[in-house]
Amino acid sequence: MCPIEVVDIESVTSTTPRSVSVHPWLTPRVRALLVLGLITVFLSGVASLETGIKILGADTQEALFATVSNPLAGLFVGILATVMVQSSSASTSIIVGLVASGAVGLEAAVPMIMGANIGTTLTNTLVSLGHVRHTKEFERAFATATVHDFFNLLAVIILLPLELTTKVLSRSAGWLSELFVGSSGGTWESPIKSVVNWPVKRLRSFAEFLELPTAATSILLVSVGLIVILGALTFITKNMKRLVADRVERSLNAMLGKGGGMIGLSLGIVVTIAVQSSSITTAILVPLAASGVLTLRSAYPVTLGANVGTTITALLAAMAASRPEALTIALVHTLFNMTAIAIIYPLRVIRDIPVRAAELLAKLAVYRRRWALAYVVTVFILIPLIGILVLN
Amino acid sequence: MVLSFFRRGESPMAHVTARIVSMLGDARHSFDVATSAVLGGADPTSAAKDIHSTDERINRTEHEIRRDLIVHIAVQGPEEIALILGYSLLVKKVERIGDQAKNILDLALEGVSLAGAEDLAEYADAQRAISELFGDVAALIVQPDLAKAEEIRKIAGQLRVGHERRIRELVHAEQPGSWAVPRAVLHRYLKRIVANLEGVALTVTDPDRELQF
Repeated sequence: MCPIEVVDIESVTSTTPRSVSVHPWLTPRVRALLVLGLITVFLSGVASLETGIKILGADTQEALFATVSNPLAGLFVGILATVMVQSSSASTSIIVGLVASGAVGLEAAVPMIMGANIGTTLTNTLVSLGHVRHTKEFERAFATATVHDFFNLLAVIILLPLELTTKVLSRSAGWLSELFVGSSGGTWESPIKSVVNWPVKRLRSFAEFLELPTAATSILLVSVGLIVILGALTFITKNMKRLVADRVERSLNAMLGKGGGMIGLSLGIVVTIAVQSSSITTAILVPLAASGVLTLRSAYPVTLGANVGTTITALLAAMAASRPEALTIALVHTLFNMTAIAIIYPLRVIRDIPVRAAELLAKLAVYRRRWALAYVVTVFILIPLIGILVLN
Repeated sequence: MVLSFFRRGESPMAHVTARIVSMLGDARHSFDVATSAVLGGADPTSAAKDIHSTDERINRTEHEIRRDLIVHIAVQGPEEIALILGYSLLVKKVERIGDQAKNILDLALEGVSLAGAEDLAEYADAQRAISELFGDVAALIVQPDLAKAEEIRKIAGQLRVGHERRIRELVHAEQPGSWAVPRAVLHRYLKRIVANLEGVALTVTDPDRELQF
């Protein structure tokens, strides 16, 4: 037998074999620079959208956005728009652009922002449907996904009437906005505005060179704006996820070991700010809950943190806007989610409402799988669609 | 915990690797204690306490590693699924070694003792060779190396064939059953431990083959 040298197991240092990246040049530093560039592109998209709508003129703007003057219709538009783009970051950034252009007023935009909060919960609910073949897994996954839905629905049920009657969110956001950029009705010069406006000016010059009519120039700018916003956000999220994946994993492992409510909440905020997408944070929780690694009650605060973290994108979008109202509506998004947590989370009796509702719905969905599908179609598509049609 | 997000640290999979190595260290400890209870005449009752607490640690580590692997796949996506399946298999094999060490301890608790037996040297050699194999496999987990894996495979193959031959000889031995059966059973457990160590080595360097998909 060959002699074998004995190795002290405790003294060895580990170098794990990892799968080789298909883009070896995409080092973390390159990715970080790429993200910075993409954020600039994203802001240019918001500026393009704002300019495109602005040049339409007040009459056309009013005709286009008259529907959302009804708060419920605004809420439904927010839900449906977010379901369509599968990202509340994108839809709220678009809302910020609309407010910045003056086409949509602050009052009308608040319910749209609340709707975006509901619409974004669809993604993790769809992820949970992937576990549909395994009863126990599916029950846990579906409950974890829909607790987000029920929390956001409850938040809207409490805060929308309160906002409509007292304007507490928009006034508070307006006050904060005034502290940062000045009073509404005026204009403010964002420090990066000249950079992000440069491509928009070039695009307008190109439209003038082609001698396009105003309506066509507007359609061009709005279309480019929307494409750039959605595209840039997709790539920002993709790169940020790659950049911080190991950190997210380490933090989750630490939280699963001994995490409580506040830790989960903070983790949800930090991770979502880092990846710029609440859907990514909440979608990570679904397989963890399905496998039994994470309980519904442990996932719940992370979900709420994700609600707050995702508001960073709209705040970022407001940097490209020329009107203080854009920042105000972005701040409404942040305040709405923070207030909802402050009202619902501290008291166990209220905190448990979304949990119980999610558990009940999950039990029903396990009993009859089609209920899960019916719930998704009804809440995220049928009700908003019918609501918009009726209220229009 | 939240601050761990902002701290620089080793990659989560490097952490998992280190934990597997420590799990293998525990399995080796259980093996050494169990075999010394059978071969060295150590008190089986105190060995049992040690092995049971080590086994609890092995099972807890296995559970935590599995959890870490689920988190890894949830965060990183399905790109590293083969790596994760390989690690799952690895953890299972190491956990089985801990169980097989307990089986050897059961022999000692049944009153089997080869201390002072005329063939003690044969078993002491086998114990030493397997203990050394643990070290080699741990080093391989940390630094996967095809040549080293092949060397381990060769040694493990020789050891397995040796134990198999001895089991066959003991089945047909002229000595009474109370002499032959404990030895045959011990060889059987030693062979299983060697096979699992070989499996760990192969999983590290060639997971696809071990996963058999």
